[in-house]
Amino acid sequence: MNVLTRGVKNALRSPLRSGAIVLMFAISIALILSMLVARSSVQAKINEVKATAGTNITIRPAGVMGGMGGGNPLTAEQLATIKSTANVSSTTLTLTDQLGTDDTELESSQELGAFGQRQMRFESSGATSTTEGTGAAATENADRPAPTPRITVTGTNDVNSVSTNGSDLNITSGKTIDASSNELVALVGSTLATKNSLEVGDTFTAYGSTVTVSGIYSTDNAFQDSGIIMPLTTLQTLTDQADVVNTVIATVNSSDNVAAAVTSLETSLGDDADITSESETAAASVESLESISSLALAGVIGAAIAGAAIVLLAMVMVVRERRREIGVMKAVGGTDGKVVGQFTIEGLTLTLIGTVIGIGLGVVVSGPMTTSLVSSQDSSSSTATTAAQAGPGGRPAGGFAGGFPGSVQQINTNLTQVTASLTPQVFATALGLTFLIAIIGSAVPAWLTARVRPAEVLRTE
Amino acid sequence: MLQVTNVSKTFNTPGGPVHALKDISLTVQTGEFVSIIGKSGSGKSTLLSILGALDTPTNGTITVDENSIEKLSGHAQTKYRGHKIGFVFQQYNLIPNLTAIENVMLALEFGGYPASSRVDRATKLLESVGLEEEQIHRRPTRLSGGQQQRVSIARALANDPAYILADEPTGNLDSATGKKVFDLLHDLSRNQNTTVIVVTHDLEIAGKTDRTFTLVDGKITTK
Repeated sequence: MNVLTRGVKNALRSPLRSGAIVLMFAISIALILSMLVARSSVQAKINEVKATAGTNITIRPAGVMGGMGGGNPLTAEQLATIKSTANVSSTTLTLTDQLGTDDTELESSQELGAFGQRQMRFESSGATSTTEGTGAAATENADRPAPTPRITVTGTNDVNSVSTNGSDLNITSGKTIDASSNELVALVGSTLATKNSLEVGDTFTAYGSTVTVSGIYSTDNAFQDSGIIMPLTTLQTLTDQADVVNTVIATVNSSDNVAAAVTSLETSLGDDADITSESETAAASVESLESISSLALAGVIGAAIAGAAIVLLAMVMVVRERRREIGVMKAVGGTDGKVVGQFTIEGLTLTLIGTVIGIGLGVVVSGPMTTSLVSSQDSSSSTATTAAQAGPGGRPAGGFAGGFPGSVQQINTNLTQVTASLTPQVFATALGLTFLIAIIGSAVPAWLTARVRPAEVLRTE
Repeated sequence: MLQVTNVSKTFNTPGGPVHALKDISLTVQTGEFVSIIGKSGSGKSTLLSILGALDTPTNGTITVDENSIEKLSGHAQTKYRGHKIGFVFQQYNLIPNLTAIENVMLALEFGGYPASSRVDRATKLLESVGLEEEQIHRRPTRLSGGQQQRVSIARALANDPAYILADEPTGNLDSATGKKVFDLLHDLSRNQNTTVIVVTHDLEIAGKTDRTFTLVDGKITTK
């Protein structure tokens, strides 16, 4: 039997006490590992969010919102300014217009309803009202001719920007259009196509020109499914609005640069444009993730301190209980090195067993613990993100040229998409912390052991 | 030869300094069997601790085989204890979670004995002090007081020490067992030329030693 075997044997001399110490230490190690995994996973998500979400800036002519209001479209010169703004990596351009009965033979697939009638109550189509309204609006407009709903046309250089869920536009039949062309082609919304019995390859008249249906699309939004999408240049030509648009979505290379880009655009465009960005929503999303990260870091520190305290106090207790034994060992020729070595090995044995159990436990619980942390934070932030989705007056920000609904939705899903992963780096950090704890937990008892003077201990008998 | 010259020991306590030993001088020849007697608190155990380099004197010198030990470094004191001194305590002071043979092997390890010969050496020592084969693998709690003291003596003899310092070795034993332990120590002195210094309050035991030192209030009154 030597120092090593004696140290290991002594560590296990009291199974109940050693078991309790090991269990407490293992729990703290498991907590350290779980918190490190949570922090690492959330930090990776924060970086991902910063790179991909909240990087869009919407620029509209002052006074225009979602196809309503008034003002002058953005000019080619303003577009050039936007594109040359620092950190703006790409732009999506949109021009919207509405087809009335004079512009097309197509019938709108939208029912006006009481809301639609009220919005269009100052207009007259000359037709007799056949729509049954309700409430004050219906009574007020009872004698007026029923307005005819118009068909919204969107000209864009990126048809996928019309998608409502952040993914590519869902083409249910036919093929998409080349948004950079000036061809007389269009994508028709599914309900509009059904209403007018349009199929791929059919034609319809718009602004006096014949337009071919290239494809039919479907979204989860009834308003959009009753619209038409054309190449931007085509619509600009048909409506005699060369080179102008009424919405620009500028994508910035990182969410960290959004605020600076907004400031720069506000300076260069002045009062001619309304500029909004997702930066606050993105910041809110990242902020909640960062609070989880901070919580996890606090957990790591707390668990590390607890682990060190457990080993330290346990070993201090062991040393104090066995002062006589230490004194006897020194009296019969045990050097400080050998005696301290034995007690250090006792501490390290307990630490090692606790570490093995703790890491096993940590691997099992780190996933659920990360999920639990994220979901508890998600529920507290859901109210804020719901409010952020609504535009002025409660009008949905989504829709044709209404903003970037897909991006907002993407940000909202960030919290629930954090995946716990135990990387080698996290594992190495956990082992490093454990090693540090073992050193701290052993150093002080070793110091106490070295200070034991055999004469003082043996004198007390 | 062990020579103590003008040794004093003072403990600083909250109640003021306590003079445990006052100007002690004595000489013990090699192979001699001596006893130190005195009342409780007279300084017997303190003197034994200083002789065994467990403690240092406040003043004076201790020369063991022409080497002064009172100014040895901590490591040198440990080496001195491991090779020159064997301790026998009243409370036996065996390591509780080690068996009898492991307790003896512990001293052999500290004394630098080769690992391969420790078992044989420890077994012989335990047999020489009267322990039976099945007793040497028992833990101290499963041995009687007399058997534990025999293990303690075997441990003290592990490294062939020149000096055995025994502090009340029979104090916790019945008279018959105490006599056997005393005889064992006596045999060591006679047959192995080991110097044995016994602290005791038993005058009958003291009467059987070669010489007796009497301590009263930290001073030697008779030799």
